[in-house]
Amino acid sequence: MEKIDSVTLSVINNALINACREMGTAMMRTSYSPIFNEGLDFSCVIFNPDGEMTGQAEFCPAMLGSAQYTVKWTIEELGLDAFKPGDVVIHNDPYRGQSHMPEHMVLKPVFFEDKLCCFVGNVAHICEIGGMAPGSFAAEATEVYQEGLRLPPVKIMSQGEYVQDVWRIILTNHRTPKSSWGDLHAMIGSLNIAETRMLELLERYGPEVFESAGTQLLDYSERWMRTEIKDIPNGVYHFKDCMEDDGVTDKPVWMRLKLVVKDDEIIADWRESDPQALGPVNATFAVTAAATYSAVLHVTNKDIPVNSGCFRPIRVITKAGTVVNVRHPGPSVGGNTETHPHLQNVVVAALSQAVPERAAASEAGTACNFLFGGVHPETGEYYTNYHFDGGGWGATVDHDGNSVMCPVNGNCRNTPAEVLETKYPFLTVEYSMRTDSGGAGKYRGGLGGRRVLRVVGPEITVSALMDRTKTNPWGLFGGEQGDSGGILVKKKGETDFRTFSEVYGTVCPSKFTCIALKEGDEVMILSPGGGGYGSPAERSLEAVAEDVRQGLVSVQSAEKIYGYKDC
Amino acid sequence: MSNLNHSQRIRCGIDTGGTFTDLVGLNEESGELVIAKWPSSPSEPEKALTGVIKDSKLAARDFASLVLGTTVATNAMIQRAGARVLFVTTKGFGDVPFIQRVNRKYHYSFEWKKPEPLVKREDCFEIDERVNYQGRVLTPLKDSSLNDLVEMVTERLENAESEDVVIAVCLLFSHLNPEHENLIKRHLETNFPSIPVSLSHQVAPIWREYERGSTTIADAYVKPVLQSYVQGVRESLDHLKLDCPWALMKSNGGHSSPARAEEEPVNMVLSGLSGGIIGGRYFGELAGWKDLVTLDMGGTSCDVGVIRDGKISYNTDYQIEWSIPIAAPFVDLTTIGAGGGSIAWIDKGGFLRVGPQSAGADPGPVCYGNGGEEVTVTDANLVLGRLNPDYFLAGKMRLTLEKATEKITELGRQMNMDTPQTAQAIVEMANENMANAIRVVSIDRGLDARDFTLVAFGGAGPLHAVGIVERVGMKRIVLPPHPGLCSAFGGLIADYQVDKIWSQYFRSDNVDWHTVRDEFDRLVQTALQELSDEGFSGKPEIEKTISMRYAGQNYEHDVRVADGGISETSLQNALAEFHRVHEHFYGYSIGHEVIELIKFSVKAIGRIPKPQLKPLTLEGNAKPIESRPVYFKEQGFLDCPVYRRSDLPSGFEETGPALIEEEDSMTLVHPENRIQVNEYGVITIEVN
Repeated sequence: MEKIDSVTLSVINNALINACREMGTAMMRTSYSPIFNEGLDFSCVIFNPDGEMTGQAEFCPAMLGSAQYTVKWTIEELGLDAFKPGDVVIHNDPYRGQSHMPEHMVLKPVFFEDKLCCFVGNVAHICEIGGMAPGSFAAEATEVYQEGLRLPPVKIMSQGEYVQDVWRIILTNHRTPKSSWGDLHAMIGSLNIAETRMLELLERYGPEVFESAGTQLLDYSERWMRTEIKDIPNGVYHFKDCMEDDGVTDKPVWMRLKLVVKDDEIIADWRESDPQALGPVNATFAVTAAATYSAVLHVTNKDIPVNSGCFRPIRVITKAGTVVNVRHPGPSVGGNTETHPHLQNVVVAALSQAVPERAAASEAGTACNFLFGGVHPETGEYYTNYHFDGGGWGATVDHDGNSVMCPVNGNCRNTPAEVLETKYPFLTVEYSMRTDSGGAGKYRGGLGGRRVLRVVGPEITVSALMDRTKTNPWGLFGGEQGDSGGILVKKKGETDFRTFSEVYGTVCPSKFTCIALKEGDEVMILSPGGGGYGSPAERSLEAVAEDVRQGLVSVQSAEKIYGYKDC
Repeated sequence: MSNLNHSQRIRCGIDTGGTFTDLVGLNEESGELVIAKWPSSPSEPEKALTGVIKDSKLAARDFASLVLGTTVATNAMIQRAGARVLFVTTKGFGDVPFIQRVNRKYHYSFEWKKPEPLVKREDCFEIDERVNYQGRVLTPLKDSSLNDLVEMVTERLENAESEDVVIAVCLLFSHLNPEHENLIKRHLETNFPSIPVSLSHQVAPIWREYERGSTTIADAYVKPVLQSYVQGVRESLDHLKLDCPWALMKSNGGHSSPARAEEEPVNMVLSGLSGGIIGGRYFGELAGWKDLVTLDMGGTSCDVGVIRDGKISYNTDYQIEWSIPIAAPFVDLTTIGAGGGSIAWIDKGGFLRVGPQSAGADPGPVCYGNGGEEVTVTDANLVLGRLNPDYFLAGKMRLTLEKATEKITELGRQMNMDTPQTAQAIVEMANENMANAIRVVSIDRGLDARDFTLVAFGGAGPLHAVGIVERVGMKRIVLPPHPGLCSAFGGLIADYQVDKIWSQYFRSDNVDWHTVRDEFDRLVQTALQELSDEGFSGKPEIEKTISMRYAGQNYEHDVRVADGGISETSLQNALAEFHRVHEHFYGYSIGHEVIELIKFSVKAIGRIPKPQLKPLTLEGNAKPIESRPVYFKEQGFLDCPVYRRSDLPSGFEETGPALIEEEDSMTLVHPENRIQVNEYGVITIEVN
């Protein structure tokens, strides 16, 4: 293999990242669903023919760790020979290396001089894929067949031509085929842009340099990650957390981690976790691995170029048929949005025992998934929307947690109220931060949010899949826990908000499917606050006074927790 | 010295940079240039203004006009030194400036802190009112709410002590129905006549409440700073008895009367940067080229812009810092942290990196000898023989080679590279960063940079230009005379320019084209009125554009509407053009799909006569003043002739390698590059 000088290597690395960024920009500007164009819930990636990720641009981190499993599986199942120039493969099967059903990967081989030199890929959350609930987050699903249309790796483009049969199957099974059509075109369009860039690189450097640059970039990130892990004290660290219920039964489901740091390697052993749940809070192996990787990246240097090389020193062990490695036909849609941040927080908490100064207390740990759909009263067209909300982040050794942020496993933007209301018959009554929701501590947890939506059409069908409404984000080193969240409803004419279990008899208050709300009904979504770090007794009085002045902490709480005296 | 009987007519541009304040004057009759330079004084910008005007030796009566580029608004935001903003918004939405868009700057970092908005949470006031997405009032604004607001403001003023207090108002959907915002303004102005009020539907009539609100807050935040700057300039000019008309550069590359700048400070945020691209375009065209990439490289940063067919592109999505946006029209520039002072370092994985940190002016690069310990791009250039230690800033500063060599050798040892290789790698990394910026700005617009000519200026631009174009695959470079003063020159040739927008939602199957026509007429009238208020009296150019997208998409493309009146036909043509634009950018269009029309914009331009520069009088040939070894990657050290730029006559031609020295810059011509000097002293380099 040709040894490439570090400048050229760095140049190629930049070019890979730039190509992925360009894919992202094209996606944002051409896609149809707010979850793409406002939320940016997608990731753009480049893989070598061995299925190792050599380049990515940072859009949605949850997808990056899992993407390599998706690609490896695809290559293994189809074989490299199956790929021809102009092909695009689509794939969302959770049992074939994917993370949950809405996440679709499109993958295109790039050929140069008749040789397959790399793959360009795009993983994105398609917001409606059929199944038992509009928006395809079926919180009461007991098997995958209720979660929507499952696609093994199949071609939707073959040598540049549409594979019409596959398109027709997809568009027949999604509730909002027009959106799916537009979003899939945005995804495929972005692949074409990246393909052009890769061909330019191949033209400039030749396939040999291109290939060995990929290999050397992987080695480079691996090397850096190993030096980072070496800085973490050797030891065995335990932590556990639970999903408060699973949507089908009202019982917690536990994830238990034994984390071993040995020299320059980490072993994350999840085998003691509970058997897989009846409801859709199960994680696929790819999700558990991605959560583990992401947590380790959080406590190490933020500048490590993220590619598959970073993950080599990290080993993830699970047992099939558990909540951290779901087996067919177990449902898994919430595993990627809800269980994922829990898993990640667990890894960070275990590592906090080794490197307290690099860790953070738990963040909200839920995406507050809220799905709705129906017939739009003005256009008469069927619509669905996938809505999420950010929560409080955990405090760290030297600063308060950030308030109302996308959960750690994603990095999506919220949808502006003006965009939401223009598209859907919901009126936003309030979108605010919850005073006192951040866990107290020397450094305070970030605040959770409150959103109140009022139905302004005749009817909207809603579903939810969230967590931490009965449990709380934990604090670290004497810091207190953040406030839990919730999803509540107030029928038209009533005065109080109550849980969906109280009003509609759902088994779980935070996970339910297909409730029909009528005009004038209101929904309140409360996201949890982050945990505090260090004892509240150590918080500076100035910081407490400033929190009170800015209304982040109430006078009553400040007096009770911090001994604050209002003057 | 000016002639006592006959005053000269000098059009003047002044640009306040971080280190120097530059002046360029153009004698309208002779076409001669007057230049001056004075150290900047960031805390009292008027002082440097007085200094540079005095240094120019021009008399007050010589000035025909004066245009200033200033960074006071930008600096106030970056340093958080603006006014105390009271923010008024719709009930339920007071936290929007704090919640922002909920995404974070780094993917994997607990260290990052979410940026604070330019307002405190205690100063946010929610008012009971509501308009829906169609602009219909759901909850009327009551007098009692207005009175509560007055009470709040009164209370804040009592506690404000000596702070400047300003008010920003952003109500939901005010861009569709501004009635409530106007009511609030009238009420506040009656009660608090001296407090400035910024309304979101005027500052940024766009949808997305966070972006519109953030822009409005920024507008209010810098208003007092800008007012006091304008006041300071007025006084300085009075003091100098200088009574010519004067104006400020706007972010959109036009200029603005001082009075309007005070009123709409949000348009002044990039005042200090937009001159560069205007100046770059002028010299690019003077050399005969209209498809240009401008590159303004100074000590700490580098600004890249794209000009297509002589047209500058514009953007409305500027960020003060991550997640604090300003949605106001600005010349589309990308700024990266690459300059002469950018620091070279080795990351934990063993990669060489350059920037974005900069050694700044103090202590500056190692070779300045002011105690700088970290290797910079300037140090690398010096070690490679590309800078003359005795003629830096025309000899005003002596560079020390020994220390720079020592530090670079040390750095190279960590990578197993010798000293020239290391220095070369540093220069290449800096070039690569700038090449990437060029790729991204061109690609974002669907353009291939290889078809473009690079106009390189700023103190460091001409030294790096060839290295950069080689990476991008560009073929040609244009170097303006006095490359360090190109931004100030841009000021003196900038046109009048006013942008006006109207946001309304239509579907292509149901466009009320009468309303569209009437609103366009209204925008045009408003824009023309402003142009004439600014003092423009010629025939203005009007550009109309509509922002469109396919029904269901969320981001728009701007489509130009053909000149002339708006009719059903001209709208149909614009819709057809949208399909073409979409196809061009994204490789597909959807012929049968409904198109949504979102935003209607008018740009009114008042052209000012383009200056006629005085041709060079030098003839014959130029001889190098010396020769010295310069390092090139392929060849190693080569003996390189050194020319003084002022010696080069019109029509001069030479083949590289060569160095061209001048007071404020240095040009490096690589082996086999062909250079040519035109009659105005503009250098063109052809790269193979």
